[in-house]
Amino acid sequence: MTTIRQMDEQNPGAKFRRFLLRQEIILFIILTIAIILLTLGSDKFLTVDNLLNQGRLLTEIALVALPMTFIIVTGGIDLSVGSIMGLCAILLGYMWNPSGPFQWPLELAVIFSLVVGTLCGVINGLIIVRIGVPPLITTLATLALYRGLAEGISQARSVRNYPESFYVLGQGTFLGVPTQLWVVLIFVLITAIVLSRTVFGRSLYAIGNNELGARFSGIPVGVYKIIIYGFSGFMSGMAAWIFVSRVTTTRSDMGSGLELDAIAAVVLGGTSIFGGSGSIIGTVIGFVLIQLLKNGLALAGVTTDGTIVVIGTVLIFAILINNYIQRRVSAGK
Amino acid sequence: MNRKLLVGLLLGVVLVLGFALVMPTAAQDRWDGADDLPVNPLECPAAEGAGEASPAEMSMPEYDGGQPTDAPDLAGQPIVLVDVPKLVGIGYFAATTLGQQQAAEELGNVTVTTDAPTEANIDDQIAVIDNYITQGVNGILFAANDPVAIAPVLTRALESGIHVVGYDANSEPAAREWFVNQAEFNGIAKAMIDSMVAEIGADGSFAIVTSTFTTPNQARWIAEMQAYQGKCYPELTWLETVEAQEDNVLSFNQATTLINKYGPDLDGIFGMTSVATPAAADAVAQAGLCAVDAVAGAAGSAEDAVAVVGLATPNAMKPYVTGDFAGCVKSVVLWNPIDLGYAAVYVLRAVVDGEFAPGDTSVMAGRLGELQVVNGSEVLLGPPFIYTAENIDGFDF
Repeated sequence: MTTIRQMDEQNPGAKFRRFLLRQEIILFIILTIAIILLTLGSDKFLTVDNLLNQGRLLTEIALVALPMTFIIVTGGIDLSVGSIMGLCAILLGYMWNPSGPFQWPLELAVIFSLVVGTLCGVINGLIIVRIGVPPLITTLATLALYRGLAEGISQARSVRNYPESFYVLGQGTFLGVPTQLWVVLIFVLITAIVLSRTVFGRSLYAIGNNELGARFSGIPVGVYKIIIYGFSGFMSGMAAWIFVSRVTTTRSDMGSGLELDAIAAVVLGGTSIFGGSGSIIGTVIGFVLIQLLKNGLALAGVTTDGTIVVIGTVLIFAILINNYIQRRVSAGK
Repeated sequence: MNRKLLVGLLLGVVLVLGFALVMPTAAQDRWDGADDLPVNPLECPAAEGAGEASPAEMSMPEYDGGQPTDAPDLAGQPIVLVDVPKLVGIGYFAATTLGQQQAAEELGNVTVTTDAPTEANIDDQIAVIDNYITQGVNGILFAANDPVAIAPVLTRALESGIHVVGYDANSEPAAREWFVNQAEFNGIAKAMIDSMVAEIGADGSFAIVTSTFTTPNQARWIAEMQAYQGKCYPELTWLETVEAQEDNVLSFNQATTLINKYGPDLDGIFGMTSVATPAAADAVAQAGLCAVDAVAGAAGSAEDAVAVVGLATPNAMKPYVTGDFAGCVKSVVLWNPIDLGYAAVYVLRAVVDGEFAPGDTSVMAGRLGELQVVNGSEVLLGPPFIYTAENIDGFDF
């Protein structure tokens, strides 16, 4: 760091140039270009109504992508988030169901499903830390396990007809903005501050860069890992709560494929899949970009199958451009 | 470390085994159609002809559909429709799309575009419809992946003045104006069970491969099949029902698993989707368990044979009905999906033109003639159709 600072003092232009070439800035430029192109594609795209509505649709991916950033920064991965979301959704409905076996108050059912979600995440963490199974294998196994539980508990029954007040979270607005977007905003702020401004957050980078070194530096690696996997489970529970409120029913296949969308957003956001680098801002730009592409291309008349092809291409190009520039930067310093 | 690993693994195995053992037993006896509606089995074959009530003669419930808010009056004018089936890329919905295009061509003042997710996913389907509401179309045709989950977005369409007509898979009635019902559930259930009994006898055992337990049509059919079987063929044994999404490979694997699991106890497999039925037939053919094995001339003793009856499109089933594996499948139950898509467009056009309104008991649908209204806000396409070796080659979709 000292050398870079010295360089900056000698040449103020270099500081600005490095700022400009930061991953987030490059991504932001890509996002801006995409928005301009999509606006040219359809006059319905850049309207407040449409953008707010898109906020509603990206919530579940956003909520899961935030803790996923933590996990990928440590060099881990969590494939079970979609299944945890399915399990939480099913439990929420199952516990509340007025004609079911438990008939709990809705608030209690929500809290219970969040607790179970967190527990599912903690179990992931325990298996990874205590037994030493790699995260990819662990969460691939629990992906199947939690989905199986969801299907077993639901017994093919969906639970419907929630009270009107329950739909506020998923379908209502607060100060003109979809309710769930506020939730996303709050969690974005919290996770951004935690990752970049706290000892805990910085330790995650240390773990991702050199786990053994982090351990020898006195960082409680195991505990931190369990915390982030638990947090991931909790956020999957939040996503389930909001999703059930939005679509007004519970199904055991809810959230299938969610893990891939979340990981795509995180990686597009410049977080290295090998751990050690990444940021919440990058992830935010990542999920916003993917959602706007889906929406904007559809509005421009591109069919759904065409849209996923474009998104895949954009993903590869964004990562290529980013890698190219980062390599130029590190070579040129 | 090693001991921990062992304990962990053991725990996992015990958990998984526990579920594997508990789930199938719990999975019986709960076929309620995932919608809590009462079942209504038709008369048994023996009792037929004793004055069966046709749909039109039954007491007609009140219209229970929704209505668009301030829809523009476009009677006789060109309209733009979007069709959002459960998914694209499968033969069945290609056929409904074909029917829609035929209707659009005949009418001359309708443009229909089909767009849907490539997987039958509720969230993706909602997003697609959402985008078309924003884009602004005159009407939406849909086949729901989930009747309840799709309701809020359809309601939003109605509130935006967009006409909404469903086909193939219904939503909650209030979220759309009309639903074109391809065949009544009890009619399909009866055709399926009767066809199966004709092959395996009234005391055989069968299993079912379906999409998911909560998919509206499939769940309802299974509920009706259970009711009809209980009423007319109590000696039939219902072994198991398995989920296979609408996935080729998974359906094949599930059918193969059933064959291996039950061995000679399994007499027949029902395929509940246009994907599951050919996959099940393929699994039976590859296991050499066709009732008539035209390929080798050997294999398939009648006792081990597994019959396949199911819902599927004719082209996918021709190899097993009249083609290389002729005789593997004797009856394919379905309606005509081309007519289904065709009727949906005609219904929406009639609604826009003001020729079809709540309270009407029938609607004119081009070459299909007059279609009856049933269940308040549903348009009935007609009785199910059974494709056999005699007639299947006359169809191409």
